[in-house]
Amino acid sequence: MTAEVWMGYLVDHCPDFTVVQSPFVLGDERVFGADSDATTLSIAAVLHRLQHENVASVAVPEGIDADALSTACNIQVWDKESESEPDWDLLLSEEAILVLARPGAEVEISVMDVAVEVDQAFHEAIVAAWEMELNVLHVSQGAYVSQAQYVEAASPRLSLSGQMGRNGAVWPPRYSANTSQKENGVHRLTPSGRVLSWTTLSAAGAPSEFSLRAPLLGGVSTVLLELVDGPNGVFLVVDDEEPEHSMDAPMELVVRRIYAQEGFIRYGLKARAMPA
Amino acid sequence: MVALVMVDVAVVGAGQTRYGNHDLGLKGMWAEAARSAFASVDGDFDAKMVDEAYIGSLAFGGAQLGNTAALLTEHSDMEGLPVRRVENACASSGFAFRDAWMAIKSGQADVVVAGGIEKMNDLTPERRRYWLGVSGDTEWERLAGLTFPGTYALMARRYFHEFDATHDDLVHVSVKNHLHGSLNPLAHIQKEVAFEKAASGFMVADPLTLYDCCPTSDGASCVVLAADHVAKRMTDTPVWVRGSGAASDHLALHDRPSITQLKATQTAGRKAYEMANLTPRDIDLAEVHDCFTIAEVLATEDLGFAQRGEGGRFAREGQGIINQGSVAVNASGGLKSKGHPLGATGTGQVVEVFKQLRGQVESQRQVKGAEVGLTHNVGGSGATCAVHVFGRDRT
Repeated sequence: MTAEVWMGYLVDHCPDFTVVQSPFVLGDERVFGADSDATTLSIAAVLHRLQHENVASVAVPEGIDADALSTACNIQVWDKESESEPDWDLLLSEEAILVLARPGAEVEISVMDVAVEVDQAFHEAIVAAWEMELNVLHVSQGAYVSQAQYVEAASPRLSLSGQMGRNGAVWPPRYSANTSQKENGVHRLTPSGRVLSWTTLSAAGAPSEFSLRAPLLGGVSTVLLELVDGPNGVFLVVDDEEPEHSMDAPMELVVRRIYAQEGFIRYGLKARAMPA
Repeated sequence: MVALVMVDVAVVGAGQTRYGNHDLGLKGMWAEAARSAFASVDGDFDAKMVDEAYIGSLAFGGAQLGNTAALLTEHSDMEGLPVRRVENACASSGFAFRDAWMAIKSGQADVVVAGGIEKMNDLTPERRRYWLGVSGDTEWERLAGLTFPGTYALMARRYFHEFDATHDDLVHVSVKNHLHGSLNPLAHIQKEVAFEKAASGFMVADPLTLYDCCPTSDGASCVVLAADHVAKRMTDTPVWVRGSGAASDHLALHDRPSITQLKATQTAGRKAYEMANLTPRDIDLAEVHDCFTIAEVLATEDLGFAQRGEGGRFAREGQGIINQGSVAVNASGGLKSKGHPLGATGTGQVVEVFKQLRGQVESQRQVKGAEVGLTHNVGGSGATCAVHVFGRDRT
């Protein structure tokens, strides 16, 4: 087994399985960070595995957004109706620990000594805010990005897919009167870049989509990145990161929760400081 | 062949409400602005003479999202006209004014009203933030946590990185505009602010503080435009529209090659100067779109009052102060102090230039010898822009 920090999570892996754990602990239990859940852990697990080998199909249990996983990782989610067996299973834990394993593999979850203590009151407040945000009766006063509009842009938002234009990569993809997005093809950009500018909005100034959580987080931080492949993009900083940045600093993009509306969680790429 | 002779267009009347937190609703505010504009026409004028009306508004709050113009003109004695709401975010009435100018310029109308209105202070903070965030690229910028304070904060930080400028330069903009606004009885915030106070304001979007941000204002403004052949019956002192330019740019900041300049402003300004056959050096006063202090710094560069990268120094040296520098910038107090009722701002800028060029503002605020003025109205973070050049002389 080899352990490392991967996309903000702790990862162990061997040929038969990958274990992803949240770095945050409350007492003796690992808990999710402020914008993490089983879906974001599963995306990290699959992307980590994809570094080493192809992942043809994954059986996804309830509690993980299969569409987000599939789009973010460009993999097939195993169809329960199919006659074939999945190549990989995703196994959930009662804690913020997730395993990607070959079917029937004997999984051993090692104890990791990295543990970031979280404040219990903060953790409970964030969990309560998400529960309220996820309630279908909760109506955000935010700009209305419908589920259909979100899904249309899910691929560039979750996997940084763009286009190759005459002058290089284009992201987010653009439509044109002359050429369609499809005709230009899809190009997955490298999920990292350098800081061109950044800001931290106070909770009072943040978009109202974030009004339940921004006061708990001390506002929201946004970076303008020049992506490695050329285009620029604006991204929220992951909620667990300190909002201190510097110009030209390298950052990587990882999938986290953005916000929820009408009982539906919108996921997307957020920026975090590139590991040294 | 019939030779077509383009008409010249003049502003013959202009008025506005006080900007701020109004008790009046949409109809009442518009009626007040229209009355003020109509009353300012010196000679032969009646609302029945108006051929068309263009009213800019974001329809903030959604209270009258549809058929806004029909409702408002009904309450200002202009029933039955062809009217429409013009929407280009904060540049709505700058474009309403341009449309009115074009209607006359094309020969299809002789007398046209352009105006703008916004009612913003009757909403809960949540709803207000919603409406303040609908004019960027909502799908990408807003879901990346950005409202306009954040967008302009990204510009400011980048500007500080690229050029010899600091937040203190923005503080100078704030202090100047509060000084000018303190002299304007129609301004939302009629008080000066000390440098030290403005420098240490509550952080809204790092590095922009409360004193870098314009207030949330209610207000309405109204302008009467006329073709040259009827303008002379309406006033002896028309203010001529010498040049009109407009442009658009990528809506999202991340799609622009540079975030320390507004291409739409540069293009609109160049077109307006060319049409007027004037240069930035000819401008005596400019009402520029300082929704945030960094926006004024960029505008002074993009409109040619300062060289690129020198906008900070321009502010530091007080070059925009009335009767002190090379051009009076935001003699009204600008959006920062006069206020920013989104849809009303563009024609509100015209009201100020109209009165300045006719020598009709308060004496302490009057730009001495003002012959040529400019208005600069920006939508969002620079996706749309309308620039107009005005003169006491027709050419």
